[in-house]
Amino acid sequence: MTAGQARVAWGLVALAAALVMLRESLPSGLVRPPEWMVLPFADWINAAFAFLRDDLGLMTLTRAFSDVMEACLDVTANLLYGKNRWPHLGPIPWSVIAVSAGMVGFALGGWRLAALAGGTFVWIAVMGQWQWAMETLSVILVATPFSVALGLGFGVLAWRSQAFERLLNPILNIAQSMPHFAYMIPVVVFIGVGPKAAAIVTIIFSVPPMIRMTLLGLRKVPPEVVESGKMSGATRWQLLTRVRIPTARTDILIGVNQVVMQCLAMVVLASFIGMPGLGQKLLQLLQALKIGLSIEIGITIVLLAVMLDRLSKAWAMKQPVHHMPGVRWIERHRLLLIWLGLVALTSALAWLHPYFIEVERKQALSMAGPVDASMKVFIRAMTPVTEWLRWFLITWVLIPLRDAFLWLPFAAVLLLLAGIGWAVGGRRSALVCLAFFLPIAMSGWWDRAMITVYMVCVSVLVAVLIGVPAGLWGAARPVRAARLLFLCDTFQTFPSFIYLIPVVMLFGVNDVAVVASVVVFATVPIIRYTIEGILGVPPEIVEASSMSGATRGQIMRHVQLPLALPTMMVGANQSVMFSLFMVIIAAFIGTQDLGQEMQRALSSTDVGKGLVLGFAVAFMGLMVDHLILRWSDGRHRSLGF
Amino acid sequence: MNALPDPVTLSTTLPPLSAGWGTVPKDRHVNEAEPVIACRNLWKVFGDRPDRILSRLNCNPSAEELRQSGLIAAVRDVSLTIGRGEMLVVMGLSGSGKSTLVRCLSRLIDVTSGAIIVEGRDIGAMTETELIDLRRRKMGMVFQSFGLLPHRTVVDNVAFPLEMRGQDRSTRIARAMEMLELVGLKGRESYFPRELSGGQQQRVGIARSLAVEPEIWFLDEPFSALDPLIRREMQDEFLRLKGMLSNTIVFITHDFDEALRLADRIAIMKDGAVEQCDTPERIVMSPATEYVAKFTSAVDRSRVVRAAALAIPAEGTGAEGQPVAAGQTLRDLARLIVSDSRAFIPVADAQGHVIGALDRQRAVDLLLGEPA
Amino acid sequence: MQRKVLLLATTASLGLCAAAAWAEDSSDPIIIPIHNWSSQIVMSNVIGQIFESLGDSVEYVPTDSQAVYEAIRLGDVTFEPEVWEGAYGASFTAAVEKGGIHDVATHDAVTREDWWYPMWTKEACPGLPDWQALNECAALFVTPETGDKGRFLGGPVDWLKHDQEKVDALGMNFVVVNAGSAAALWAEISAAEEQQKPIVVFNWTPNFAEAVWPGEFVEFPAWEAGCDTDPSVGPLPDKTYDCGNPANGYLKIAAWDGMPEKWPAAYAVLQQVNFTNAQIAEMAKMVDVDGMEPEDAATAWLEANEDVWRPWVE
Repeated sequence: MTAGQARVAWGLVALAAALVMLRESLPSGLVRPPEWMVLPFADWINAAFAFLRDDLGLMTLTRAFSDVMEACLDVTANLLYGKNRWPHLGPIPWSVIAVSAGMVGFALGGWRLAALAGGTFVWIAVMGQWQWAMETLSVILVATPFSVALGLGFGVLAWRSQAFERLLNPILNIAQSMPHFAYMIPVVVFIGVGPKAAAIVTIIFSVPPMIRMTLLGLRKVPPEVVESGKMSGATRWQLLTRVRIPTARTDILIGVNQVVMQCLAMVVLASFIGMPGLGQKLLQLLQALKIGLSIEIGITIVLLAVMLDRLSKAWAMKQPVHHMPGVRWIERHRLLLIWLGLVALTSALAWLHPYFIEVERKQALSMAGPVDASMKVFIRAMTPVTEWLRWFLITWVLIPLRDAFLWLPFAAVLLLLAGIGWAVGGRRSALVCLAFFLPIAMSGWWDRAMITVYMVCVSVLVAVLIGVPAGLWGAARPVRAARLLFLCDTFQTFPSFIYLIPVVMLFGVNDVAVVASVVVFATVPIIRYTIEGILGVPPEIVEASSMSGATRGQIMRHVQLPLALPTMMVGANQSVMFSLFMVIIAAFIGTQDLGQEMQRALSSTDVGKGLVLGFAVAFMGLMVDHLILRWSDGRHRSLGF
Repeated sequence: MNALPDPVTLSTTLPPLSAGWGTVPKDRHVNEAEPVIACRNLWKVFGDRPDRILSRLNCNPSAEELRQSGLIAAVRDVSLTIGRGEMLVVMGLSGSGKSTLVRCLSRLIDVTSGAIIVEGRDIGAMTETELIDLRRRKMGMVFQSFGLLPHRTVVDNVAFPLEMRGQDRSTRIARAMEMLELVGLKGRESYFPRELSGGQQQRVGIARSLAVEPEIWFLDEPFSALDPLIRREMQDEFLRLKGMLSNTIVFITHDFDEALRLADRIAIMKDGAVEQCDTPERIVMSPATEYVAKFTSAVDRSRVVRAAALAIPAEGTGAEGQPVAAGQTLRDLARLIVSDSRAFIPVADAQGHVIGALDRQRAVDLLLGEPA
Repeated sequence: MQRKVLLLATTASLGLCAAAAWAEDSSDPIIIPIHNWSSQIVMSNVIGQIFESLGDSVEYVPTDSQAVYEAIRLGDVTFEPEVWEGAYGASFTAAVEKGGIHDVATHDAVTREDWWYPMWTKEACPGLPDWQALNECAALFVTPETGDKGRFLGGPVDWLKHDQEKVDALGMNFVVVNAGSAAALWAEISAAEEQQKPIVVFNWTPNFAEAVWPGEFVEFPAWEAGCDTDPSVGPLPDKTYDCGNPANGYLKIAAWDGMPEKWPAAYAVLQQVNFTNAQIAEMAKMVDVDGMEPEDAATAWLEANEDVWRPWVE
């Protein structure tokens, strides 16, 4: 930071402080956005959508697209759970799918992956969730290829044309930081509800990472490979399809992996607009307060996620291996033959006994009873602690803080943000901050936005308080770090809705419960990046400090933490993103922030309102993202790595 | 195996294998009258809007002047002619513009100014289709880091240019197998590039570039990424191949020894301009600039200078007796030069005709260093 | 399950012949929405299985319970078997005004949505269910976030229940805290049950909670039409919302305008469909308490109550 930069930044902050001091005597136009400033964005958006839908007839187009989608969905639905549609072949018995998944796992990554893949499907079957899981997979199976194809197409276009990339980039940024509910509403308007709408929302949500990875992969193709293609006389199209894309294979497949993970993240949320299967069942069970059964579904979702993640990663990393010439066909296709044999065997089993086709609910195993009972015991044991915690946090921390956030004059908040922006990245960053936050003030949702800000701030703070020590503790030993990271992954993939109920049972419907549920998510990236940051400190620097006679504590304080800080800040950035997403979902506990309004907008299919709220949340996220990345880049550069 | 343009050239371009290729490059028929590649006043300037500076290029601005206007001249006013069957080595340190030059000659990048005539046609004016056609029929290129396609087997990599020009699978596989045998990779055809060593990967690159029987063969630092031992082996291998082929070769290297070892002519580049372009002997014997002299000063001239280069007309020298071969270096002849008693030794070409006489005293001086 | 449907189809074959004789239903599936509470799911399955016995094909689509009316208007969903006056009356009426959806029939069942407490609350505050007695016990319901006032846990804000207006009008010593979902309400009740802590929440009938936690509605001054708009209506002359919610709200069936034409036979049956509070509570209980799957519960209900639904198909 230059001296001039610091002076301007402090000036802005001092001005903000002055406004806070003088709040009582400020004109009301500085305390809250004056009326002339608040613009009816929602009405404009609604008018635009009405125009698109009614006058331009976009509806016919989207409907045509959704019909294509539906035809695909019918095929997978028939194959996976025997929906009465063409091709009338299904349902494929669970045992066949389980051995097939096992074989795929074996081919890609040996016995461990085989056990994971096969085991996941066996678990789903014996827990009696087959039908639901297949309903879910039937949508994912359609959404994924569409996403991949769209992502590849857009990625190639963005790679070809810089203008297109410049257009696409902000859209992707906003799409990736907009709460899921916000873009469900337009989909409901244009497509309606049901599996096809769910599939389309899933596609929209999962396309951005695919576009980015395609772009990255195409950029990373070594120039000499391209030149060698050119010198071989390849046309542009041949160059793209036979040289660039195959060479970018690994990055593109990592994109596919991300698409699959995003699709799974949508399983529960998309059920609000008609995704059948696990998500829908989960919401029903929670509605009837059946925690044990919902946890079983949660485990299934985690298992599916872990399995698909490992499989697709193994696929991405797998490099082709040659066969020696003269090896017989049978030996080259040994795995294929074994698979065919196993399919024949399991089909025969299925023919002999219906248990191997589908395990009915009555025959299913369940651990819901003990889980419910232990949950009860846990909650009872925790009650004295949580009662006190609830009282303490509500009375002394949360309510005062929240009132303070609401009390702040909006002009002071904007000035403060501009000051922070200026300190981090000069005039440009200050303008970026204002450009993101001013529209929030102009949207007319200032108070609710401030409540969201307050909850995110508290949650991230608590997450840092928990996550940094946990990360430091974990980073001390590699085994411990691996276990902690695995735990983080699990917490992150576990459907967020399941956390809401126990949290309400522990704390009641109030901000403590909301913060608690958000913290579960917000802590994960902090732990992960703390571990990564500490482990990323070059070992010779640590060795050099030990040789200088530093104690472990001194090394931690003077060497590891400062060097890991930029990485840890990236974790904080993600933590803010996760918090924003989760605060919106925590509206289901009961909040008075943007999330609650978002829920209302969804149930009244108010596109304009939904998008305005969505943009408000996305802008907060993007502003934090800009500030932190800017700071951490500068820091990384000055540290020289 | 390489379909040659006409039988006349065939007889003259193919050297007697017994003599070894590296030793008698001058016998390789170079038809200066028929340039395969000719470039005139070639400029390649990188930076924002290099066209602005175009009008000033005639004034031949220095690299420094260009840098001040935010531009980098990778190739500065280069004019070269490469004759049919000739092997030109472009030598320069990194950043001297040699790789840019070869990419201009193959039009992998467009030049800023100047013309490149390949077989009588200006490639700068070619349409994309014509250019692709030219590459599919006449050009091959080998790259420093191989540029192999990681997802294809060795044989599919070699067959790739043939695939591009639409040959059916069995023909192109057969041809690719032939090429692999030529570069000594028989039996490795179903491997993937990553399963091979660096030297082997470059052999694949060479096989691929030769698959279309190119008349013009570009090699961009083909051995620079390899270990010194492998590099030596690959150079020998290259010389062997070169002996079997008759195509025009443009070879890029940063290694002066490599240049001396392989070249018919060497073009030495510095800051995008050609400092000197001549035969190895003449470069060694009379470097044109101080920069070139820096390279040649450390070179053992006796390893470079051949008997032919020192030969003076035989008439009146009284040279007789057993002649020495024109292509042999003084180092090869050292023992003879030191122990022979003749003042002048006849020099004979590959056909045994005496082409001149070698002044033994000069040869001894060169071998032992000039007397102080 | 499909086998059972077949069985049902044969038992209902008489009705089928009669129905099929006078009109031909489209072979396109009838789309039935599924919401996130069990009585609706079972009822949808019951009606769906009856339709299947008529030879119609049926599909169930999970749908948001507010957004469903928009979907019906567009024909994406064919009908909604449970339109609650209190919760969805507004969305339904708005959709009717836009066109494309209409009121098919009204169930005998009445719906009631109002302040409610589980029985253990009455032990601590014996004057219940009278609202004035509740107001005097306000201290029992104090929580940290409501200060010295009692907490009433309301439903999600978008249910538009006007609880705060009621508190203001009647001058009650309560603060309304809105839960974000029904699940949050149940979680609170369940946690209160553990400690037998008094609690007053928003609840409605018919639903499964009655079977799990016996309780009663708070008796406010009785609802009179106009109580919410006209200050003079109700006990207090100068206040609106000085009364409880209607104790007998309607429960309707709504359908897409195109349904009578496309599936005349099914539509004729739908006009006859009619459930009572007891029947609905029973269906909810089969799933929520007995742990049956909704499809199985529907089949079981149809088997056990042939006398109820047979007249609808004939």
